[in-house]
Amino acid sequence: MDFNFDEFVAWVGEDIDTLMMIVWILPVIIFVFYGQRIQLIISSNEIKKDIGKLEEYTASTKKDFLNYVKNNLTAKTDPSTKLDSFFDYFTIMPVDMDPNGIISKINHLVRSRENFIRLQINSMFSNLSSVELSKLQNLLEIVTTLQLFHKHTRHFYLTAKKQKNFPLILPLQMMIPFIMEEAVALKDAIPAIKNGQPIGDSIGPMIVGQMMLNITKESAAFETVWSKTTFEDRELFLLKAEGPNATVGRPGDGFEKIISHKKPNLVIMIDASLKLEGEDSASIAKGFGAAIGGIGTERFKIEEISTKNGIPILALVVKQSLYEAITLMTKDIADKANDVKEELYKMIRENTTSGQTILVIGVGNTIGVSQ
Amino acid sequence: MSKSKNKLTICYTSLECNSCKLLKKRKFFDGDFVFSSSENCSDCDGKMMITKIFGVTMD
Repeated sequence: MDFNFDEFVAWVGEDIDTLMMIVWILPVIIFVFYGQRIQLIISSNEIKKDIGKLEEYTASTKKDFLNYVKNNLTAKTDPSTKLDSFFDYFTIMPVDMDPNGIISKINHLVRSRENFIRLQINSMFSNLSSVELSKLQNLLEIVTTLQLFHKHTRHFYLTAKKQKNFPLILPLQMMIPFIMEEAVALKDAIPAIKNGQPIGDSIGPMIVGQMMLNITKESAAFETVWSKTTFEDRELFLLKAEGPNATVGRPGDGFEKIISHKKPNLVIMIDASLKLEGEDSASIAKGFGAAIGGIGTERFKIEEISTKNGIPILALVVKQSLYEAITLMTKDIADKANDVKEELYKMIRENTTSGQTILVIGVGNTIGVSQ
Repeated sequence: MSKSKNKLTICYTSLECNSCKLLKKRKFFDGDFVFSSSENCSDCDGKMMITKIFGVTMD
């Protein structure tokens, strides 16, 4: 049958409703049967771009790390192969079906991993200072985390594509902005760590470190120091990680040692805290409870000791974004050190009386900050 | 100095003289860390102590 255009135009003119019906129904049918697949294609394209970025971040930070090692440290043998194997190390968390006693298991696991990495790195280089060693541990942690992000995101993406499973890609689509935010922050943290510069998280140790100046410092625990001083007829115990190493120390163990010496009447913890969207960066906030992040083992220990001894814990935090917390300290945050110290003194005056003892803990990574 | 996408962060070191309290700001040198005193004051014989190390980001 020959197609006659004039006849078709005449037919359309007569029966425009039929044509419009076809025009509307066709997309509806397509979306009913293929909607999920179309959505999967659109979403997966966005995720694919982010996975590409994650791969790029992992490769560039790995290259940065290996270059830093080659240019700044004296290796006994070529460290590349051994360091490369560290990037793939994984940690199997303890069984949590029976959560009783899980904290000590996690603590043991984390400490064992840290000790193992420390020993391995130490054995690879000659004349490695404690500052360099801690920097290497931090850099290694960054590369490993980025690699983990890349591998896991890629796994979910490929599984969803392979199985043409749209619901599987939804949680990934929701999580990817948060993963990317953290990945960018980790990537940008590399220069500060390499140069031994303070990061946003160093604000707590910076304030306590300043209070420790010209006072005798004693070891409280591994990579953790403490001092004794006075303030308006009160005894002050100061505790922080040992700087300028890139470490958070072991404030829980430090607290345990201090309490065996003398029981404080109040504990005040100064830390960086993640700001909520809309909150101002570098703003100061006060509250109750142990202000300390991480996997939770240190916080557990501090809470356990303070509960057993009936010691109240107050928190003083400097709000910042995740990016600010792990990259080079901003001027706004650095400028807040004196204000936080004033707040701390005000808190001590308001919550204690003369003759009492206060423990002040500067929580955070003390990279680039001594005492 | 670190570069992010379209952003350049320059690291500065703030110093204060222990004697005359003179304040000075300069670019970060390798080996600087907060509360270290390695340089002499340009105005008196005092030692300059590093009080802050911070980054300033320019677009």
